[in-house]
Amino acid sequence: MPSALPDHLRRIVGAPHVLTGVECSPYVVEGRTPEVVVFPGTREEVAAALAVAVEQRVPVTPWGGGTKMWVGSPPSRVGVVLALKRLDRILEHEPGDLTVTVEAGVPFDRLQAELGKKGQWLSLDPAASDRATVGGILASDASGPRRHLYGTARDLVIGLTVVGADGRLVRGGGKVVKNVAGYDLPKLYVGSFGTLGILVEATFKLRPRADVDQLVIARFDRLKDAGQGARAVLGSDLIPSALELVDGETLRRLGHGGGGALLVGLDGIAPQVEWEVAEIERLLGPLGLGGTRVLDGPERDETWRALGGLGRPGHDGVAAVMKWAVLPTQLAELMDAGAAAAQRNGLSAAMAAHAGIGLVTAILSGGADPGAVVATLVEWRGLANGVGGHAMVEWAPLAVKERVAVWDAPGPTLRLMKGIKERLDPGGLLNPGRFVGGI
Amino acid sequence: MPPLTDARKKSLRREMEALLGAGGVLSDPDELMVYESDGLTLYRALADFVVFPRTAEQVSALVKLASREGIPFVARGAGTGLSGGCLPAEGGLVISLMRMNRVLEVDYDNQVAVVEPGLVNLHLSWAVGPHGFYYAPDPSSQQACTIGGNIANNSGGPHTLKYGVTTNHVLGLEVVLPDGELLWLGGKTRDAQGYDLVGLFVGSEGTFGIATKIVVRILKKPQAVKTVLAVFDQVDQASEAVSAIIARGLVPAAMEMIDQLTIEAVEDAFGCGYPRDAAAALLIELDGLAAGMEAQAERVVAACRDCGAREVRAARDEAERALLWKGRKSAFGAYGRVSPAYMVMDGVIPRTKLPYVLGRVNAIVAAHGLRVGNVFHAGDGNLHPNILYDPRKPGEEARVVAAGAEILKVCAEVGGSISGEHGIGLEKADYMPFIFSEADLACMHQVKDAFNPTGLCNPGKIFPSNKACVEVGPAYRPHPIEEKGLAQRF
Repeated sequence: MPSALPDHLRRIVGAPHVLTGVECSPYVVEGRTPEVVVFPGTREEVAAALAVAVEQRVPVTPWGGGTKMWVGSPPSRVGVVLALKRLDRILEHEPGDLTVTVEAGVPFDRLQAELGKKGQWLSLDPAASDRATVGGILASDASGPRRHLYGTARDLVIGLTVVGADGRLVRGGGKVVKNVAGYDLPKLYVGSFGTLGILVEATFKLRPRADVDQLVIARFDRLKDAGQGARAVLGSDLIPSALELVDGETLRRLGHGGGGALLVGLDGIAPQVEWEVAEIERLLGPLGLGGTRVLDGPERDETWRALGGLGRPGHDGVAAVMKWAVLPTQLAELMDAGAAAAQRNGLSAAMAAHAGIGLVTAILSGGADPGAVVATLVEWRGLANGVGGHAMVEWAPLAVKERVAVWDAPGPTLRLMKGIKERLDPGGLLNPGRFVGGI
Repeated sequence: MPPLTDARKKSLRREMEALLGAGGVLSDPDELMVYESDGLTLYRALADFVVFPRTAEQVSALVKLASREGIPFVARGAGTGLSGGCLPAEGGLVISLMRMNRVLEVDYDNQVAVVEPGLVNLHLSWAVGPHGFYYAPDPSSQQACTIGGNIANNSGGPHTLKYGVTTNHVLGLEVVLPDGELLWLGGKTRDAQGYDLVGLFVGSEGTFGIATKIVVRILKKPQAVKTVLAVFDQVDQASEAVSAIIARGLVPAAMEMIDQLTIEAVEDAFGCGYPRDAAAALLIELDGLAAGMEAQAERVVAACRDCGAREVRAARDEAERALLWKGRKSAFGAYGRVSPAYMVMDGVIPRTKLPYVLGRVNAIVAAHGLRVGNVFHAGDGNLHPNILYDPRKPGEEARVVAAGAEILKVCAEVGGSISGEHGIGLEKADYMPFIFSEADLACMHQVKDAFNPTGLCNPGKIFPSNKACVEVGPAYRPHPIEEKGLAQRF
């Protein structure tokens, strides 16, 4: 890299906001240390910093809370890490409009706490929300169990401001909850992992907080029965906010016994939730329900947080984490087959699924032998692909990623995706190489 | 596009008939005239051909043929659009999808349906209704409009306040790209890897290709529904009630406002039980579990009373509920009682700006010597000012268009949008700079180029451009089914 780049960046953001050399070590991406880390304080500084990097043909990796930097194929080179933590202002919250506009570097929990003061919330519940930033959540399309009822970031973002590779600010959407003017650019940027531009500002629609919010844990002896239970809930009049199907190992890690369970989120006004709790017991009783526990307050929050945390690397000897997207009716059988595959390879699996959505988080642990991990992940991908679904390696050590593709083989849509990428980032410098199809 | 010679037309017609059969191609000017407009009859453009494929492969073959010949093409559903989005602005081919109208598959366990684009929106809810399901997006033209058209426009409806718009309900699309390639975006499973091409395609107003199969979510019908009518002596009180209901932690399924002029027209036409002397009425619908429904309704009633409602009542039975909704949904036909024509606008504002903006709308229209009726999605802040006018009076139409532009400018000034659900189409292409910068539009254009590099797929829409090939001409007149209150425009 031309040594002038850090100096250029210092002139833009001020010397205290540029790191070089060993100072960059907290910002290692998949084993690669960036050449420089820059912390712009305004979106104009983001634009100027990006323009300089692009002009010098140095790749740029955006960095929010750093909670998902291990998602994606390993990058070939990490040049500039562009960290957004100084863009941390909540710009506008109008409770009467149920909207909020924030800068990308705002930590999620801080935003949620601010909204809570007015009795509102942003109906997303991603993992590691204490450190995850709004921008990172959008870039990685992170979500949690409550997507069952409330959708994901794509359903909740109503406007985005992005700095494009040409250093220009681009706004898509707006600040109103309903808007069809122009193309829906926010959809394009959500989940694009920083490959199309740097998110600097977002506007969300909000919801009022419910009077009551409870978590019912319905335990079964067998995962299969819990799976039947999930189908019964989905076919009933119940309107859960979350419906998680978890296996015995996950249940054990959450501190409960049993062969499988449903974790059902219920929110609303008191008479609704009371009726729903009773209805769950009535529905599931004949299906082999072992017992229920109703959690509220900190106990509820802690259980949801623990569930989200299970699939994070560094947790209890996690060897790899894979996500499968299949049809809801395929879940229980596939989870059982996946656990058996892990066992055959001398490993153990813990699995949790969004039962109404058809998304499994499959956590592999119990050994560091890359060969066994690779073999299991390959089998798992085969299981998901075999029923018409897809699979991605959410996390794995580099030695494993070298042998198992992070993403499924891209289909014919890759041409469109590359067409978009080439037009919006002609130099191929925005977080290159990490995304689907090598984008 | 330069006009096609007669010889070339003949040979193209032969080629398309070979693809579709003799009944699948129209090229006689008298027949083409049926397809010269959509629901916004202010604009007209004549196609060279209107074709009626029955399969995705036929659509693909037609698109390949058009590409080969350099002829523009545009997909068309029921033609109920309100922004001129499906007009053949530069001539060429109109590809009608009305013969592709089947429900292909319903998977109740996984709560998805696969349908063809020409399926009428309401017919999907009819098809799945006996199993206790429905399709949530409910544009007010749902008795006529198609799911494919809904995809193009990302259509909304009264119940989007709680359930979201079309894009929140579409999981996958089989599409014919502008070069004729047939492929799937997304599918029945969630979180397709890569960019959200489904999210991008929905609402692209037919400029990214033609959807030939659509995977949508179907929802369980709610256990209970409660519809409340609140009557106000001042419009501001009704506006405040909208915010007050939300402030009480409620998300109604729908919150619709109807102003005095509209109430009078509706009562003249249908007698739905709205008080004629009210300045505004709010129609509020709650749905969900039966348990707690009364308690929620009480909160709504209290919020309305606190804001000065002079009367608040809940529909006692399904018949009364249907009558109240008829008043809302047939308002458009009812305008025929008070005016020979009207132009419907579609601005969006932050809902807290309702009192201010409604005041400005009335002032703008009055300054142009015209009248306006408002009937709209108050909960979403999605305004529908309907400017009444007489097309026989010289110059009145131009004043309507001028007033409409001023109203949309006001929406933009308060942080809103120039379209909530009708799309930009031809009508508002020149207003895009009200809310988007040159860089915003350039980015959108680059995305368009990735899908539609030749520009042959639905040219002349969305982006500021000339309307040279389009005739502007006589005004809207309500369709007979609108006059009877059987269908309406939004």
